[in-house]
Amino acid sequence: MQSLSFFSLIPFLTLLVSFVVASTAPAADYHEQLNLKPLPQNSLLASFNFRSNTSLPEFEAHNFRFFPRSLGQILQHAGTRELHLRFSLGRWDAETWGARPWDGTKEGGTGVELWAWLEAESDGEADHKWLTLTNALSGLFCASLNFIDSTRTIRPVMSFRPEGDHPNTTMANMHLLHGVLPREVVCTENLTPFLKLLPCKGKAGVSSLLDGHKLFDASWQSMAIDVKPVCQAGEECVLQIEQTIDMVLDIERSKRPRANTLQTTSSLAHPPSHELKCNTTKPYHADDTCFPTDSLNAQEWTLNQIFGKPMLGNCPLTDPKTPPVCIQAPHSRDVFTSMGVEELKEPGNENQRCYLLPSNDEEFHLALPFMPRDGDRPKTDADEFVQPATPLLYAERSLTGHGQEHGGVQAILTNPSPDAEVEFVYMESLPWFMRIYLHTLKARISHRTGSDAGQTLRDDDDVVKEIYYRPFLDRQRGTQLEIRMKIPPGSTVFMAYDFEKTILRYTEYPPDANRGFDVAAAVITILPSNSTSTAGAAAAAGGKTARMSNLRTTGMLLNLPTPDFSMPYNVIIFTSTCIALAFGGLYNILVRRFVGRDEGPEVSLVKLRKRLQEGVQKFKERVQERLGAVGKGAKKVDGKSD
Amino acid sequence: MSADIQNDGDSKPTCAEATVSLPATGIATVEGKEPPPEKEADTRRRSWIVLSFWLIAVFIGLPIWWNTTTIYRANLPLGQMTDWADGKACEPVFPLRIALDVGALPEQEAQNLLRLTQHALDDLNDFSGHHLRLQLAQAPTEATAPVRDDSNVALTIRLAPGDAAHTASSSLHPHLPILDVQYPPNSLPTANSPSSGLATYIATQLGATFAEEQNIISYLLESSSITSEHRPKGISQEVVDTVSKRMTRSLKYSQTYHLTFSLFTNGPVPSSWDIEAAIDQYMKPVLDMLRPIHNFTIDTQVQLYASPGVQSLVLGKEDLSSFVNAAEWPLSPSIGGAPTVNFIVYTGNHTIGVPSEASPGETSQSWMIPQWGSVYLLAPPAEATHVSSETLKQPILTFTSHLLTLLGTPQSGSLPMRLSTLARIRSADLLLRASSSLGSLARLTLALPSISIPSNVADGVVKTIHHLELACASLGGAKSLEHARIAEAEAERAFFEKSMVGQLYFPDEHKVAVYLPLLGPIGVPLVMGLLNEIKAWKNRRSQKLKAA
Repeated sequence: MQSLSFFSLIPFLTLLVSFVVASTAPAADYHEQLNLKPLPQNSLLASFNFRSNTSLPEFEAHNFRFFPRSLGQILQHAGTRELHLRFSLGRWDAETWGARPWDGTKEGGTGVELWAWLEAESDGEADHKWLTLTNALSGLFCASLNFIDSTRTIRPVMSFRPEGDHPNTTMANMHLLHGVLPREVVCTENLTPFLKLLPCKGKAGVSSLLDGHKLFDASWQSMAIDVKPVCQAGEECVLQIEQTIDMVLDIERSKRPRANTLQTTSSLAHPPSHELKCNTTKPYHADDTCFPTDSLNAQEWTLNQIFGKPMLGNCPLTDPKTPPVCIQAPHSRDVFTSMGVEELKEPGNENQRCYLLPSNDEEFHLALPFMPRDGDRPKTDADEFVQPATPLLYAERSLTGHGQEHGGVQAILTNPSPDAEVEFVYMESLPWFMRIYLHTLKARISHRTGSDAGQTLRDDDDVVKEIYYRPFLDRQRGTQLEIRMKIPPGSTVFMAYDFEKTILRYTEYPPDANRGFDVAAAVITILPSNSTSTAGAAAAAGGKTARMSNLRTTGMLLNLPTPDFSMPYNVIIFTSTCIALAFGGLYNILVRRFVGRDEGPEVSLVKLRKRLQEGVQKFKERVQERLGAVGKGAKKVDGKSD
Repeated sequence: MSADIQNDGDSKPTCAEATVSLPATGIATVEGKEPPPEKEADTRRRSWIVLSFWLIAVFIGLPIWWNTTTIYRANLPLGQMTDWADGKACEPVFPLRIALDVGALPEQEAQNLLRLTQHALDDLNDFSGHHLRLQLAQAPTEATAPVRDDSNVALTIRLAPGDAAHTASSSLHPHLPILDVQYPPNSLPTANSPSSGLATYIATQLGATFAEEQNIISYLLESSSITSEHRPKGISQEVVDTVSKRMTRSLKYSQTYHLTFSLFTNGPVPSSWDIEAAIDQYMKPVLDMLRPIHNFTIDTQVQLYASPGVQSLVLGKEDLSSFVNAAEWPLSPSIGGAPTVNFIVYTGNHTIGVPSEASPGETSQSWMIPQWGSVYLLAPPAEATHVSSETLKQPILTFTSHLLTLLGTPQSGSLPMRLSTLARIRSADLLLRASSSLGSLARLTLALPSISIPSNVADGVVKTIHHLELACASLGGAKSLEHARIAEAEAERAFFEKSMVGQLYFPDEHKVAVYLPLLGPIGVPLVMGLLNEIKAWKNRRSQKLKAA
């Protein structure tokens, strides 16, 4: 490591802060860390993690120190024992970026996802508390969480396990409820309350890097809040809140200075030709043709550039022994930091470096310089970033079918491992207006590569081990589908089922109905590989032996038949006309008397003409009379003047 | 048909000429023969058809239409509701019983004194709604065991012969609802004297003691819409101003309040405080005394890196209102319906530049925010990271007195007296509030004929009236607050019924657009058929008459 002197040029007011703060109250401690991980294709994964504790007696007594009061009050009011809240945006590109951070346990499907264990005597009470919880959280986080109603709530059976340590007495009364809002757009107004929950409020420590503009401009981002009780052996139980933000930044995009963001976005559509990154090895490369390159330039960035603001020292509440910033890059990668920063290298971990900040409020700077790919000591991609680990499973899901009535869903699940089986639970929470037919559920398995790629190898009985299905009820609850599957090494499973689209009621369509309806992401819970028992047995054993990992597919946009919204009046007028026609004819036939043509009264049209003529005649006469009278009068006047 | 018209056309000119010459006979001359006389059965059948169509339309169609389109409106006791709102249903009378502990006086003299004092009281008091009634203490025991358990007794007067020769003196007990009166031994009234200096003195003292309560209740009655003969004659504008200022400051009544104590600081320290111990020591006693009237939940929080809403270190009067940075400080609204009272300790170097003279209760370090809470500026403690419970003594004591003001407690008298007064004021307040809610609901029901009224609103109204009656019957007693509280809650619930808030709006044009396409083409044949039938029936009758 080299220390660049120019980074210490900024002499900041050094407010000496005593570091006994955190040690005065041992039950409540605070921990924060930023993990940076350069990824292939000019991306950077930044994982922020904030963790604080409060002892359970303090929590019961409503004394809050680092644990946020606003959230604590809600949890107590709604009898929530464990809470998980996720705000996510974008798509994790598993093909390029590899395995997910935190094994996917700290991310949610696009939009907002919430699941919690509530303590309640009965299902009805749990529903009531869930309603309280969602309403209160919706106010706290400025999100439409109050729209998680009974149609969007499910009670997962196989997919989720409590992460905290719950005493057995409360376990019996705990109800797991899960709700998703796939349509919710996560934005800056959700970050502000998130930062408010932190003890350092984004004013010091790693949280000072968080900025709404950068966060929601990321290629993928996920904000998570987990609250759970943690009991260490021999210690008092504590309630732990863990706040996590993961984001994948496009370095080129993030480096644009904030001031001309607007300009750049408009010029992004047509960047000048000299700024295009072209693959010059192509034979047809010329001034006016460009083939985009796969491997972009070597990464070169500073913390300031990509987050738009500097990191304002340490949060003084943290343990000074814990390094706040770590970077996961090969040791051959050059990294520069500001003065006074201590670099820690873990002996066991080749690729990790951490930085311990001096105990003052000085800004912390970190720079990854340009590493030339040619010259004396050429560097390669291997020096640039750690090759991402292969995920346990690739999953993608898409809509099939055509037309306004029927549709289908296909999920493609691939086990990339050459030698290990993977067992997982695939869970879908589908809206009620997607009427799925479970009998059409088919799973076929095939090899990923080779001559027989794509051909069905085995029956689906071998793949699908267990199905939990709770059918939808119109306007009351959605479909819950949980499937436990096992995929042999190096194979792909194609799972498909059909559904029928419902025509909604007039008022049930959202304002922009033609956009379509969002369908929540499928949640895939990969069961620990060593557990050969069923999921139910694993739950009984506590489910804590090995960590589970998660995976979520992308959401789907379902097009329902959308009516013309002037329809009600058209229908009223049309049916009225039909009824009137039928009724008029029938009634007239019943009531009228039929006589010979010459016997009946005069046909009304003739009568009408006659009357008209009479009227005209009378009018003419009257006009003539009047004219005559005027003529007489005029004569009289003439006579007088004479 | 066309041939027929042609024929008629040919015959017409003659007809037209005829009209010109003979207008009276013009229409009568029609060519063609009369149809054969209709059979009696046919005529009757046609009448039956027309009649049955109409019967179906009237007896089946109309009821179905009515049932499917009317808005459900539960029956509300509108008369009773308006009575309550106008104060006709209840005369707010607060009979206060005051015990006279005469000590060692003989029975006869005591009775005499009692009678005279009551007389003097009645002369003094022109506000019949607030009535003081004297009685002899039940068990005139030693002074060490004053009457405490009898909650209906608002005040005990303890008489004792004093040493002063000419003038009586009195003092309020600082902790108990007792007025100690020391009288010169010779001032006791004789059996037949029409008045007595001592009796007048006691009456004046009592009047002064309860003056504030009377003022507040008069103000409440005055500001409500109640027109009653019990309305006080007149309270001076000055009194109205002070009382109204105090009442607007206080929070809306609720059974439970959340008290939130927050330590805010601009930097990273101090990050912990001994708030629990401090509250237990300095605030708990008062909260325990308030327990019969209010419940409290307490939570505390520490918030670091919180910058106030104003930048300057010396706060002017206008800065005080914007000091609390509502956008950034997590003082989020309370949960579960009960209001939150915020108490903020801010450590920093801020000071108040202009101590406001208007409210002398405020120190130069703290101020109260009406209906919200209060703020105390604390100098950074010597021990930088921790605020001890000693340091918190002054803030907590200030908060306690602010809490009493925020709850609307009157300011004079010993604490138990103030609290019993508070209970009476609150029950009167709730009673009036519930009554006026009922009145508003009644007016709303009458004003919006197209609003639907679900049956649970009617239930709420019935419950409200029931509890109002109970509360009114026991005004001044212990139960009245409880009943008034229930009545107020029910009235609010009925008034803010969710399904009534969102009123469906169907403009008349829409109704025409919906009904006309159906009713036009059906209604016209029906009506025409009926008219024809009536005409035919008349014809037949006149022919019958002629024939007869």
